Parts: sequence; C-alpha cells; structure tokens
Amino acid sequence: MPDVSFQVEMAGDVPVVAAPGDIDITNAAALRTALLEAAGRGRMFVVDMSRTQFCDTAGIHALVAAHKRAGDDGSEVRLVVTSATVLRIFEITGFDQVVSCFTSLDQALAAP
Amino acid sequence: MTAVDPVSVEGRLRSFQSITDAALSRLDDRDLLAELLDRTREVLRADTAAVLLLDFSSGHLIATAAAGLEEEVRQGVRIPVGRGFAGQIAAQHRPVILDRVDHTTVLNPILWAKGIQSMMGVPMVAGGKVIGVLHVGSLTPRKFTAGDVELLQLTADRAAAAVQSMTAQADRVAAAALQRSLVPSALPAIAGAELAARYVPGSGAIGGDWYDVFCLPSGELCVAVGDVAGSGLAAAVIMGRMRSALRAYALETTDPAEVLGKLDRKMQHFEPDALATVLYAVIEPGLDQMHLALAGHFPPVIARPGQPAALASVRPGSMIGMGLQARRPVSTLPVPPGTLLCFYTDGLVERRGELIDDGLDRLCRAVTAQPAEAACAAVMGALVGNEPARDDIALLMVRRQAGVEGDADA
Repeated sequence: MPDVSFQVEMAGDVPVVAAPGDIDITNAAALRTALLEAAGRGRMFVVDMSRTQFCDTAGIHALVAAHKRAGDDGSEVRLVVTSATVLRIFEITGFDQVVSCFTSLDQALAAP
Repeated sequence: MTAVDPVSVEGRLRSFQSITDAALSRLDDRDLLAELLDRTREVLRADTAAVLLLDFSSGHLIATAAAGLEEEVRQGVRIPVGRGFAGQIAAQHRPVILDRVDHTTVLNPILWAKGIQSMMGVPMVAGGKVIGVLHVGSLTPRKFTAGDVELLQLTADRAAAAVQSMTAQADRVAAAALQRSLVPSALPAIAGAELAARYVPGSGAIGGDWYDVFCLPSGELCVAVGDVAGSGLAAAVIMGRMRSALRAYALETTDPAEVLGKLDRKMQHFEPDALATVLYAVIEPGLDQMHLALAGHFPPVIARPGQPAALASVRPGSMIGMGLQARRPVSTLPVPPGTLLCFYTDGLVERRGELIDDGLDRLCRAVTAQPAEAACAAVMGALVGNEPARDDIALLMVRRQAGVEGDADA
C-alpha cells in the first residue's frame, strides 16, 4: 500500500483538504485521517475534490466519517466537486443529499 | 548489579541476533513469542518476561505470552492503555523502568505478589502504531541500564513485526473463509427460474461484496446484493451481520424499502461506523413482478426478450449508514417470461479514467435475455476479460424461464 498523507491547509480560518485524483482503498484511510483532523478545527471545512476523477466506496466512507464528525461537533463539511463521475457516484449513493457540493473553492468559501 | 560494559552488550546483541528471521518465520505466533521471551530472559538475565498485545476494539493490553510469569496469561490479564506500568508504556510510546514494584506503580497484582523487585518495559511498534508491550522483571533489586533498554527494544521491534505479519495473515485467511461461507456456493432451485452467479475477489485485500438469494415462506423470491466499505476481516464480519439481519427483516415484511430501513436503523445503532450499499428485490410468487429498493447501490440491468437491456428505472436511496432517515423509493417492475435480471457490484462497472455511465452502458450491451449461466459468462467475458480485477466483483443473474413448464428453452 503506498505511503500517502494529505495536508490540511488554511484558507483564512477555514481548513481545506485537497483530495487526490483517485480516491480508493489505497489512500482512503490517509484521507480520512486528514479529514477528521480538519473536521475538528472550526465551524466548517472544505474538501477540495476538483482534481478527483474517481471515488469508490472507500472514498465515500472517508467523506461520510468526516461529515458525521463535523455534525457531532456542530461544524459543516463543504465539497468542491467538478467531475461528472464523482457527482454521479454521489447521486447513486445518496451522498448528494447529505452534503453541500460546490463547483469551485471560492464558491464553497463564499456561500453563507 | 553492576553496570554492563559495552563489549558485553555487543556480545549479548550478537547472541540475540542468532535468532534469524528465517528461523522465526518457521514458527507459529505462539511458538515465536515463547522463543523470543525465553531468549530475552536469557540475554537480559531476567526472571520474567511477558508480551501484552493491544486489543484495538477495547483499548486493553491483553497478556498473550509470558515466561516465568505464566499465570498472567492463564488468568487473562487485561490492562487499560494509560493505566499502570504497561498501560503507560503503550500510551506514552516510550520505555519505562521501575525500581519499585507495588500497588502504587503496577496495576496487575500478580506482578507484586510474585515478588518482582525491578521492571523494565518497552512499546512494541509496527507501522507507526503501538501494538503491544514487552516487559521483563527481576526477583532481586536491579538497576536496568540504557543498554538493557536498547536490547529489549530491539527484541520488541522484531516481535512487533512478526506479530503484525502473522495477524495480517490470520486475518486474510479468516476473511477469505468468512467470505466463502457467506456467498452461497449452491444457489437455490426455484420453480420457473434459473440462477447463476460469479464472485471474483479483487487483487487487493478481501473486500465486503456479497449476494444472497432466498425464498420466503409465502413464496416470494428475494435477492440481496451489497458492498461493505472497507476490506479484510472487519468488512467481512460486517457483511455477515448485514446478511443475517436482512434475512431476519425479510421474514417480517415483503416491502423492500421497509427491510432496508430496518437494516439501516440496526446498523446505525450497532455499527455506527459501517457504510454499505445494498440492493434488495422481492419477486412475487409466480415471478410476474419485482419490487425493488436501493440503498446507494447500482440498479439492476433488465433484459426482456426482443428488447435491448436497460438499467431498471428506480430512484436512488441513500447508503446504509449514511445517516438519512428518509424512506427509500420502491419501484415495481414487470418480469415477463424470458426476462433476465442482472444484479452486480460496482467492481464490475467502475474503471479509472472512465465515466460510470460508460461502464453501465457496456454492461447493458453485454446483457441479453438468454439462459442465466450463458449470460454470466458473456458479461464476465465482455467486462472483465483477462484483466485482474482491482475490486471485488459479484454478479448474479436471475432469469424467468420462457417456456410454460419452465424448461422448454433451458
């Protein structure tokens, strides 16, 4: 399994995690770690999936865990999603009904 | 006891390294730990040695092997991480030396009742995580040195690597056995229908894909297909629990959305971290209609005689464990004689660098209203070919026979 880790960067006071191009079983655990770290840091955080073209159930699992943690902490997760495949997976899994998706980082940060 | 000079430390190190990895690899885990503890006692001239391994689900260190202190294992000693001597070593990730062993420093009464005067313990670390603690003790007062700690840490590192690789191997074997026991090897015989299936494990760890086919006492034919997020033994165990819970709820109602709703409530309460996609279909006795609900799963492909195959028209419902309460939509679909129903998991249609809908289109083109076994072969040939699958693939075909007696064309 490749040794991967993901950094949490700050956009102002909002933590932003840049998700990789493919999210699958080989990197979902590392992504989950970064997301849970970001989830504990403020009133909202952003997962920037603008590079992401593939996200399987392992990836959804990491995102759902972060969404639940954020909910428990009174925080909110926002996603930046541009790939039609990823949006389709979100639709099939019902994930689009529980999180807010935006088409750019600026939009995600600016939304009320 | 006097301080040990470096020369003798080196000598002891060499004698210790005589246990080569090749020799260790031939031992099973119990023998390996026993051998390491005996050798550790010998080179450190200690009276007792013990390994406690961390049980991740409870956060307890559990006495697993001991030399000179066998009662610790026999009595099933458990130490919470963070408490007592071993608990501190695990929590703080560092060696601890005790010059006084009594109830104020050691949680486990066996150690002070035994008359141990001095102790030294180190963490067992594998993959950056503490997986246990190795400690030695002396029945006479003794000052353990930095050289002693170094030697013990070396042993602990070796033991940690060996334990982890053996645990991983045992988990793989158990997960594969569990998976085999959960995916039916023989499909039920149903009057008027034929069934065929394929299950291909992915090239990585065993995943959590499963399918199930069963009949209700009232005559309905039920089909479940699912994919638990995660892999290995943990995913296989959750898959087994979901499969039996779904069967139990299936006996209570023929409404597929209600079955999925109850399954979701059960999982959210008892396995709050689990996430899974599930398709559940109830085909009426006589096979004329199918009632179908989805929990984050791909819809089945339906091929009716003389028509191109298409995805079943059913609105998506959220995954099991997603946290939504909403009732999942149910579609009722006609199943005229000769119809083939194709159920599958995502491994069959998802390819990197490709739109999901392209994979689904390819599946629809490969499915035709033909006998179930031939349909399985055709789909696997067209979608998998000779490519090793990264992800698990489960495929189940259910065909309503075309002939009046059900065997005219089978």
